Amino acid sequence: MQIDLKTYRLTDPGKLGMIALVVGILGLLVSILGFTSDRTQFFYSYLVAFVFWTSIGLGGLFFTMLHHLADAKWSMVLRRISESVMSTLPLMGLFAIPLLFGIHDLYHSSHADVMATDELLKAKEPFLNQAFFIIRTVGYFVIWSLLTFFLFRNSVKQDSVHSDKLTAQWRRVSAPGMILFAVTSTFAAFDWLMSLDPHWYSTIYGVYMFTGGFLAAISFIILSASYQRRQGILKEEITIEHYHDLGKLLFGFLVFWAYMAFSQYFLIWYANIPEETVWFLDRWENAWKSLSLLMIFGHFAFPFLALLTRGAKRSVVWLSVMSCWILFMRWVDIYWLAMPTLHEHGPQFSWIDLSTMCGIGGIFIWYCWRKYTSHPVLPVNDPGLKESLEFVNN
Amino acid sequence: MSSATEHHDPNCLVTGNPTFESITESVSCIPESRTPLAWKIMFSISASLALGLFCLIGYLFWEGVGVWGLNNPVGWGWAIVNFVFWVGIGHAGTLISAILFLLRQRWRTAINRFAEGMTIFAVICALIFPTIHVGRAWVIHWTLPIPNQMGVWPNFRSPLLWDSFAVGTYFICSFLFWYVGLIPDLATLRDRAKTRIRKIIYGLFSLGWRGGNRQWRHYELTYLILAGISTPLVLSVHSIVSTDFATAQVPGWHTTIFPPYFVAGAIFSGFAMVMTLSLIARKVFNLTHIITKKVLERMNMIMLLTGMMVGYAYSMEFFIAWYSGNIYEQFAFVNRAFGPYAWAYWIMISCNVLVPQIFWFKKLRNHLVVMFIASIFINIGMWFERFVIVVTLARDFLPAAWDYYSPTWHDIGLLIGSFGLFFTLFLLFMRFLPIVAMSEVKGILPQADPHKSGEHHG
Repeated sequence: MQIDLKTYRLTDPGKLGMIALVVGILGLLVSILGFTSDRTQFFYSYLVAFVFWTSIGLGGLFFTMLHHLADAKWSMVLRRISESVMSTLPLMGLFAIPLLFGIHDLYHSSHADVMATDELLKAKEPFLNQAFFIIRTVGYFVIWSLLTFFLFRNSVKQDSVHSDKLTAQWRRVSAPGMILFAVTSTFAAFDWLMSLDPHWYSTIYGVYMFTGGFLAAISFIILSASYQRRQGILKEEITIEHYHDLGKLLFGFLVFWAYMAFSQYFLIWYANIPEETVWFLDRWENAWKSLSLLMIFGHFAFPFLALLTRGAKRSVVWLSVMSCWILFMRWVDIYWLAMPTLHEHGPQFSWIDLSTMCGIGGIFIWYCWRKYTSHPVLPVNDPGLKESLEFVNN
Repeated sequence: MSSATEHHDPNCLVTGNPTFESITESVSCIPESRTPLAWKIMFSISASLALGLFCLIGYLFWEGVGVWGLNNPVGWGWAIVNFVFWVGIGHAGTLISAILFLLRQRWRTAINRFAEGMTIFAVICALIFPTIHVGRAWVIHWTLPIPNQMGVWPNFRSPLLWDSFAVGTYFICSFLFWYVGLIPDLATLRDRAKTRIRKIIYGLFSLGWRGGNRQWRHYELTYLILAGISTPLVLSVHSIVSTDFATAQVPGWHTTIFPPYFVAGAIFSGFAMVMTLSLIARKVFNLTHIITKKVLERMNMIMLLTGMMVGYAYSMEFFIAWYSGNIYEQFAFVNRAFGPYAWAYWIMISCNVLVPQIFWFKKLRNHLVVMFIASIFINIGMWFERFVIVVTLARDFLPAAWDYYSPTWHDIGLLIGSFGLFFTLFLLFMRFLPIVAMSEVKGILPQADPHKSGEHHG
């Protein structure tokens, strides 16, 4: 891998894209086999993988808009990474299409006979019906794609023109963009995951899903930066100081995720209303208990201690290890949210879980990397870049 | 703290090109000058109201909580409304002093001292209400786990007990944080003191501060650690307060978004109060060059943000109430919006969700009169938010028990009196302590940046 230090373009983007593409295509081919052998398992596995990668893309969108809105300078050197991550959202829109064919396999409420006999679900029909589900899913991706197209196009435009207008423009878009993001990501979480169990509800669910997704996106950004560092790219530009700040952000959102998860669990446990506790009982009174415990220790306690110290946040190697771990836990989280509907008695891992993750993930990484390498890897013309390059924690 | 390497243009934070000396002068002269007449007038009004508060509390102890407008479904009434309101106000202070510090938001230096002071006074006001609400305030120490010969312990499962821990911890930490921040400035006042008594008192409280290099090093480390400790408190305290409601099975109270929703609301209301107070203070004490419009504008942006978070929570509650299919849950919300308290609900929505929308416009968020009026509206709206949550309980599961809750003169008096106490404490603070963190403001001056030395000022 090589970089032209004048233009900050990668003259040789390396093999990563090719490897990811091959893994992706193989994964998808194997997943098609999965579809023919076990249709329901396929759709559940596919849903988990789809939500996992989409939530990373959404986290990238949030990171970029937050960066613009807060007028942040330290994160300028990371902007192209987060922009590439968010630019996968239109691609994820394509990956949503197979999902629409699996509505019957996934969502209990899409069965007419169930809706006819279940009084509670009948009351929810204005929301829980197939047509509206499809309209909403299409709507989310249209909104996300428009936001990412605009923000990415303007950002790239800045490389060739000097203009203050661009900065003002993307701030003007990011502000209402945040509102759209809040509404759409919440309802996407309700639609894709919460309605797997159509009786159950929780007002914090949308925020919970957002927090986990942002956590995964930070991990993904750390890994992208450290991968380049190992290849000798952007070593001087993305310094330990930036990793330290990413580490703080990772740590902060880890605690915030735990706060959301605890709020949800604790209030439901305490009030002990059967129609709410049933959801947690499904994840506790059987073999799912092991995954629930893994969530407490693996998604919070262990990474909390592992990222607590200053030294941990300033070690690129350690931060990368923890990012891998958190991404793994993110997958466990989504698996834990979705799968108990299918496997009621305990987790049953399937090869389709792996193939769909690799399939969508390979294409995701390939596309993300392609977007990243086809433009300068730093926003070279941004007036804030200098400050970001010189940034020091203290 | 002293960040030499951040390259903000500090001129946008402090205007009028002040020097270290002029900052000291303009802040220190407030407690050193003669007591202004306006202060005397304001103090006598608020101190009388505070006195009224204590008289009303005395009357309450004599008569019992029957003097309030409580009825059977509404067992908490205004006391809990006021408690949550005042605790919420405090949160902006901690957010500004701790979280904005950790986020390197250096514009906070203009308002942090003030906001921290406000936190402490608001928490004092807040603590009064649960204390008097227990009915037998003389045994309030029973809320603490003190070993006793009867072997009686507080009920650790009760969120009301967690409140006393959470708010108690919050008070202690906020107070320490505020005091540690004050030390260098108290030393400045001591060194400038012209009378012996001032010298002794400020000297006592500045703990022998000499401003040496080692002292600054320790001070900055302490400050950072206290900021780290206070940061989770911003979230935990109001989360615990929200569990007072959310752990119950009552429709409209039991919902999982309550903890973050309460925290966002608390920060929102607190910023509104900081705004109200700082607009008055910068005018009265001529601090317009330190509390600049830039600072005020950013506060308005935070209010816009947190106002929208509260709006998000309102709409989630409403949507999920419908989505749950639970008729009691649905009724609770329809009743809020269209029942006998619809007027309060729509005051809440208008003040908390609609009013902050004006801050989308740069002109309006830089307009002093507009932001002053908006901050007052937000304060009102946030009080009504708690009112709506507490009082719409008047229609619970049993229609036979339905009633309309109205406050008595005593309830109203307590609320007004708590404002009196708050402003009394605040005015005393303004009179005797440096209301702007001088040492921190100096840190954001251009001449504090070693990379710029030699360019000007020296």
